[in-house]
Amino acid sequence: MTKRIFRSILAVSLAVLLASLLLIVGVLHGYFQDSVLADLTIRTAYIAHGIENEGIGYLEEDLPGGCRITLVDTDGTVLYDNREDPAQMENHADREEIHEAAMLGQGRAVRHSDTLSEKTIYYALRLSDGTILRVSDTEYSVWRLVIQAMQPMALVLVLAFVLALVLASRVSRQLLQPINALDLSQPGDQAPYEELAPLLGKIRSQNRQIQKQMLDLKQRQEEFTTITENMSEGFLVIDQETRVLSYNSAALRLLRGSVEGPAPDTAFALNREAGFRRCVEDALAGRRREELLEKDSSCRQVIASPVEQDGAIAGAVLVVLDVTEKEQRESLRREFTANVSHELKTPLTSILGTAEILQNGLVKPEDVSHFAGNIHREAGRLIGLVNNIIKLSRLDEGGPTTTWENVDLYQTAKSALDRLSAAAEQRQVTLELRGDPVQVHGVPQIVDEILYNLCDNAVVYNRPGGKVCVTVEDTGKSARVMVEDTGIGIPQEVQSRVFERFYRADKSHSAGGTGLGLSIVKHGAAYLGAKVTLESEEGKGSTFTLIFPKSSI
Amino acid sequence: MRNKFEEQLERLHVELIQMGALCEDGISAAAEALLQNNPGLAQTAIDAEREIDQKEREVENLCIKLLLQQQPVAKDLREISAALKMISDLERIGDQASDIAELVPYVHLEEGTGLHIGDMARAVIRMVTDSVDSFVKRDLDLARAVYTADDKVDALFDQVKQELIGMIAKDASRGEQCMDLLMVAKYLERIGDHATNVAEWVEYSITNVHPDKN
Repeated sequence: MTKRIFRSILAVSLAVLLASLLLIVGVLHGYFQDSVLADLTIRTAYIAHGIENEGIGYLEEDLPGGCRITLVDTDGTVLYDNREDPAQMENHADREEIHEAAMLGQGRAVRHSDTLSEKTIYYALRLSDGTILRVSDTEYSVWRLVIQAMQPMALVLVLAFVLALVLASRVSRQLLQPINALDLSQPGDQAPYEELAPLLGKIRSQNRQIQKQMLDLKQRQEEFTTITENMSEGFLVIDQETRVLSYNSAALRLLRGSVEGPAPDTAFALNREAGFRRCVEDALAGRRREELLEKDSSCRQVIASPVEQDGAIAGAVLVVLDVTEKEQRESLRREFTANVSHELKTPLTSILGTAEILQNGLVKPEDVSHFAGNIHREAGRLIGLVNNIIKLSRLDEGGPTTTWENVDLYQTAKSALDRLSAAAEQRQVTLELRGDPVQVHGVPQIVDEILYNLCDNAVVYNRPGGKVCVTVEDTGKSARVMVEDTGIGIPQEVQSRVFERFYRADKSHSAGGTGLGLSIVKHGAAYLGAKVTLESEEGKGSTFTLIFPKSSI
Repeated sequence: MRNKFEEQLERLHVELIQMGALCEDGISAAAEALLQNNPGLAQTAIDAEREIDQKEREVENLCIKLLLQQQPVAKDLREISAALKMISDLERIGDQASDIAELVPYVHLEEGTGLHIGDMARAVIRMVTDSVDSFVKRDLDLARAVYTADDKVDALFDQVKQELIGMIAKDASRGEQCMDLLMVAKYLERIGDHATNVAEWVEYSITNVHPDKN
């Protein structure tokens, strides 16, 4: 800006300078010529007068210098010249001023010398005897003047240059100061110059637009972040060089193990397990790959897919799933299937063997009833097992289709103990029931099943001469049933496992049972919203406590 | 030009992590093969060693290329020279892991002998993992934790040595076994030393001071 202002100022001053120079030279030139001519006219008249009076001898006198005086005869021969020898000079008749003077009595002419730097002004007067007197004076031509003016001109030019420089910078500073002071992010309505108002208006509207777009972008980014952050699946985008482009905290948790720590620069900084590396390498080579990463007790599934852009692989998208629970469930299911087949097979093998012996007629007639009893018992066990499995699977599927009603825990416990009295007597176990009737809301069959199973276990896993004590209490907010026994107890380390299907603390299976009883208790209690807890000491006995919520009455 | 340099530095970083991860795989496989007497896993460790050697050459080439073409200074130079030192230690870790794996068919670790070689293996795996982690996370504390872990591994080595002497004294016929086990323990102890070296080079590349604690 300063440069342009400077150039304009300089150009204007140059133009003005040149114009004024031309004008002055033009005017002065004409003026000078006129004055010289007038001076010549007077002088010529004066000399002519002298010649008229004193003859040619007058010219020999010392005349005021500066002028060239020539006397020319009527035929053009030079009679006298005060600068040159007249004999050497050519005929002057055809000279413009002489010719004019011969014709009109006086004549004038201006001739430029060869160099153009000088010009000669001639004035000729016809004397009374016909001879012509010519007086001439040399004057500097216009060019000479111009050249002479050059030096001061240059001085003025330098001055103009410096002035233009100073002015330009000052002007531009003054012009720019208010513009620089403008806050472009919030241009007010007050423009420093009227001319700037449209520009400021445009900036304002653009600012608004940018702000709106920024807000939009931010919102979209937030939406995206919210979605990915709330995903329990890890999400990771990497480029060809395994640089991490985008990720969520679930990815950090699942791959690195902790959400804290620096943002990862490369995917391998998150995880270096062999499976993960294979996934990344394959995805970047253009192949989709799935791997299971198992470390400690957690199990994660990584799915890596390549991202293609314009036919080339630009990177990969990785999704990480926590499949620990799924894997655990899967292994539980496998275990269950194996257990079921095993448990079903044992009585069947026994039945098959016994039946085979009977079929071959190897049994004495008096032993037949014993063998038949064997078959009967094993078949009964099989049916009991199948029944238990059916019950469990019903509970798994959301319970039997029976209606909920009020159940008296005391009465249910009493009936369960009644049914067990024979078995208890056989094992020399005394049964005791304490407490008061308490009503809870539930499904009678399930409550009965739970209490019967608990009491049955208490009887079966007891020692001869032992005791089973069932206490039913109303604790205000809830109803509590405690089943205590003085039996063999459950070792501390397996207490958490006794509720699993087919799990038996007693590995020898000496007490019989299906291994499903406590599993039914657990699932039944969960179905009714009740809690089961277990306290046990090996060799001293176990206490199962059931807590039914009373709010469901 | 500088941009390319940064890209190459990033690649160096990634390659080093990969090499470290290979070492972890190798030593884990070797230790597991030893503890579970699983020759299949031993082969994994031997394969890992070959990959590690390959990786070492790649990283070395990359480092030399970086040094020659980019003429790095200050921090970058420190990182590259530390990388050059680190890969030779990592390569040694891979070698020793494969040495252990080669001994697996001749060594039968019986349960109940009370040998602390399993503890030693676990401690060493932890050290290798921590040293690589300290590089990945540029974590000075983790790097220093590796030095202290090395003291424990050395103590465990002495313990294992005493236990083996006891075993030979009790039953001279198991002498050869015990010698092999002593070799395994020595390899593990050496791996611990190399892991310490790696951690030291990590510290050097971060702080510009090499902690000479060996």
